[in-house]
Amino acid sequence: MTIKLHRWLALLILPALSGCYPKGAEYVEELDLVYTNYDQAFAFSSKQTYAMPDSIIKITGEAFEDPDGNGKPQMVSATYSVPILQQIDQNMAANGWQKVSRTSNPDVVLLVSAITTTNIYYYYDWAYWGWYYPGWYPWWGWYYPYAPVYVDGYRTGSLFVQMIDSKTAPQVDNVPVAWHAIFNGMLEGSTPDIVTRIQRGIDKAFAQSPYLKH
Amino acid sequence: MKNIILSALALFCMHVAGAQLKVAVTYPIAFPVGDLSDYIDATSFRGISLELYKNIKPNVAVGLETSWSLFYAREDEKVYTEGTASISGVQYRYTNAVPILAMGKFFKPSANKPVVPFGGLGVGTLFINRYADFGLYRVTNDTWQFCLRPELGIVIKGRDSNGPGVLVAAKYYAGFNTDDLEGQSYFSINIGLAFR
Repeated sequence: MTIKLHRWLALLILPALSGCYPKGAEYVEELDLVYTNYDQAFAFSSKQTYAMPDSIIKITGEAFEDPDGNGKPQMVSATYSVPILQQIDQNMAANGWQKVSRTSNPDVVLLVSAITTTNIYYYYDWAYWGWYYPGWYPWWGWYYPYAPVYVDGYRTGSLFVQMIDSKTAPQVDNVPVAWHAIFNGMLEGSTPDIVTRIQRGIDKAFAQSPYLKH
Repeated sequence: MKNIILSALALFCMHVAGAQLKVAVTYPIAFPVGDLSDYIDATSFRGISLELYKNIKPNVAVGLETSWSLFYAREDEKVYTEGTASISGVQYRYTNAVPILAMGKFFKPSANKPVVPFGGLGVGTLFINRYADFGLYRVTNDTWQFCLRPELGIVIKGRDSNGPGVLVAAKYYAGFNTDDLEGQSYFSINIGLAFR
């Protein structure tokens, strides 16, 4: 009798245990992450103006390749880039920054890129931006005064915003990055849904970076 | 440390094997304390506990215990800041706690009474599998900690003295610090059946 009871118990317990394990995230937006980091020595409050390209580039690899020879990388479609860049502009304005053209000697420049490869390239070639911001050498990389977290295995999409210090002298072949934000999430769902999630991510990036506020 | 404990438990198993074993299967409701509570403050309703023991004296039993409790919590979206870096998102936190213990139970002599109180002590290892799902990433920390486990409880005998009795126990699992992780500790209330 006792042995039979034990067996029944085992039979009942195993499915009960496997069935009750919590499953975690149910919605794609629960997987969204916003990461920001900045240079403590950079005097954000003394900077007023910024410039930003009207396109978001696609980073396809560390080295810049230009098969069509026009000197520009691939761009993200306007369906995504227009609302995303507008959201950045809105947040910059709300934080007291003034947008100027690239040629008006801005204090900082915001560079926005999208990465759908499996790694995040903090050190992709400057050449990606040579079409927008000429004058620096195309093989240059980036100088982060703080330690950027290098994350492997970005399986999905990331929006990468770099605020570069365009007035300070470059650091030995590197462009100084005063602030950057990464929005990472799954590129699942309809285009308006993805855009909305990225816009929310941009809002969060600014909210968690109070030093940008004037 | 882990190997010594496991070897001792294996020897103990061999010693106990072959004797008339009692089996207790209980359902633990576990309440985290200390560092475990800081990480996940929710009560665990997921788990199972198994004890094998035999009487070496009429009122003294020795044996083995293992159990599983899963602590789980969803942390709403919030910002985590370290130095100049900030990261925000939803976290799903998990801690699987699996103690493997040698134990003794001391029953209050009460030959004909239906309710038998007991106290007990367990010594062994506590395997902790802690992880957090954060965005698309998982941060894992597995560790084995030294564990002491005092308990107090009662056995309510069934009508048939050879049949199963109901076992109710309050246990405290005290895990000790390792290099990787502070000691993970929790209370549990166990309710189940003890078979002879």
